[in-house]
Amino acid sequence: MRSSNYIVFGQRWTAQLTFAIGISLVVLFSLIPAVGILVISFTDIRSLPYLPTSWVGIDNYLTFFSAAQIGYNLAALKNTFVFALAVTFFQNTIALLIAVLLNQRLKGRNFARAVVFLPTILGVTVIGLIFSLIFNPSAGPAAELWAAFGRSTAFFGDPELAMTLVIFVQVWAGIGVAVVIYLAGLQAIPPELYEVADIDGATSWQKLRYVTIPLLMPSVTANTLLCIIGSLQSYQLIYVLTGPSNPATQVLSLAIFTQGFGGAQGGTVQSQGYAAAISMVQFVIVAVISLATLAYLRRKETVL
Amino acid sequence: MTTAVPVAAPSLPPVESRPDTVVGRKRFTPLVVVSYVLMFLVIVVYAYPLVFLVNTALKSNTEFLVNPTGLVQAPQLGNFAAAWEQGSFSRYVLNSVLYTLVAASLGTVMSLMIGFPVARGYVKHPKVWQGVFAAMLFLPNTLVTVFQLALRMSLYDTALGYILIMASGVGLGPLLVAGYLNSIPREIDEAAAMDGAGYLRYLFTFLPKLMAPVLSTIFILQAIGVWNDIILATILFTDQAKWPVTLGLFAFKGTYTSEWSLLSAATLIVAAPLLLVYLFLQRYLVASVVGGAVKG
Repeated sequence: MRSSNYIVFGQRWTAQLTFAIGISLVVLFSLIPAVGILVISFTDIRSLPYLPTSWVGIDNYLTFFSAAQIGYNLAALKNTFVFALAVTFFQNTIALLIAVLLNQRLKGRNFARAVVFLPTILGVTVIGLIFSLIFNPSAGPAAELWAAFGRSTAFFGDPELAMTLVIFVQVWAGIGVAVVIYLAGLQAIPPELYEVADIDGATSWQKLRYVTIPLLMPSVTANTLLCIIGSLQSYQLIYVLTGPSNPATQVLSLAIFTQGFGGAQGGTVQSQGYAAAISMVQFVIVAVISLATLAYLRRKETVL
Repeated sequence: MTTAVPVAAPSLPPVESRPDTVVGRKRFTPLVVVSYVLMFLVIVVYAYPLVFLVNTALKSNTEFLVNPTGLVQAPQLGNFAAAWEQGSFSRYVLNSVLYTLVAASLGTVMSLMIGFPVARGYVKHPKVWQGVFAAMLFLPNTLVTVFQLALRMSLYDTALGYILIMASGVGLGPLLVAGYLNSIPREIDEAAAMDGAGYLRYLFTFLPKLMAPVLSTIFILQAIGVWNDIILATILFTDQAKWPVTLGLFAFKGTYTSEWSLLSAATLIVAAPLLLVYLFLQRYLVASVVGGAVKG
């Protein structure tokens, strides 16, 4: 590689100018807001302009842990962990099984892959509405299924059931990416290894356990990390399915939205500094958990 | 197995060359039968909700109330026209098409403008910039500050503000461009420069041809993100006339709560462009989305 000062196109300034134009937009709308979250978490900034803003120190963080808020926030934290753990576990396990299944020579497997991946393209609003239709409490396939067992429920309106259903829909919607990542990992395993295992008389299960899974560990790491980071921060589907302030499905990132924007259209006068403080708490949690997971999985990769 | 990039190729090799893993080449062993049954189950779990949506969209409201889950008896194509009309979808679809095309194009051009000079070292501290792009994938939730910024720059409730903010969410764009440039030798830059092409001409006419695959990947990733966004649109727009189609659909749900056929028709209207694109670009889209996700 040549030195980075090597110039091909006569003057350097055109390159620097176009770079500056591009990067300034990214800095303005992505980097500054990110750093800004930390800054305004120490203020009482509001969602209406022209209201005076003042520094409040760590008040917003104290509010987060205050007696009045801690119950709500702990519940949101618990929901976040339940949601993230369940989604990560089920999405990865089922995706791995589907990938192993669809990696076989089956007629119609390309069609199956295509359908499994489809929700990734559809987006949260469409998926949310489709499942509102499926889990329509008054008339729909899920209601009929429940009725067959002599039960009835409000589905997303049922505090006992809402979280389970939201997890189910999230797994349904997100599994396509995980399946394709696993499939790519499976196809990268050299077929010779299976031939050698066959010569040694290995059973299907032994081949899966001692060849497929160890060699697939990098894909497991990628999928688990993507899924943990994604599900700890995700709230869009929950918002569409159960609204902005359903206590049964209130997760931390939805709390940011609800505190900052009142959940409805148009701003209220509440402090967005507090919402920023929740953002920071969430950021720290996501960072700690993803780094810990990464360290754990990397160690596991070398062991297997 | 501790290398940095977990999965290598996002693009799938052709069907025939894929090795069997678990099942041998014998036909109709019990394992093969079980596999077909399982695959059928997977297809049902994924296809049923969509088929049910289409089925409901074709029913009259009365038919839906009488028989919500049965196959449609008297298809009502008029539902689509009615939903389109009552939900003012023509305006929302136009808005969404505008936001998606402009923001995704702008984001792609920005990725090129940023990624190329960084990859080739035409700007100072290219390594630092690459680090910044990687770090940007792990930023905190910036809803509140983005809103405040829009408010203070008079970009709140404007199409321009929404487009700029969506376009700036380039995410992996610059990294994907820089990564792809590893496969384009510098000698091509030099040859073009020798032939008298200036930097701008090279950047905007030569490179897009050389980098068409990665640029379309970036465009598609961003276009899907913009078309499906609902949260930023919710916090940035108050004027209903500027809403994208996702917000229009969400509001439609609020208004026509009990008219499930109409709501299904509206949902299909929003999903239709995505389904069409998927039908034609399926293999390509899968590679794009997964390539983007994995490199993150």
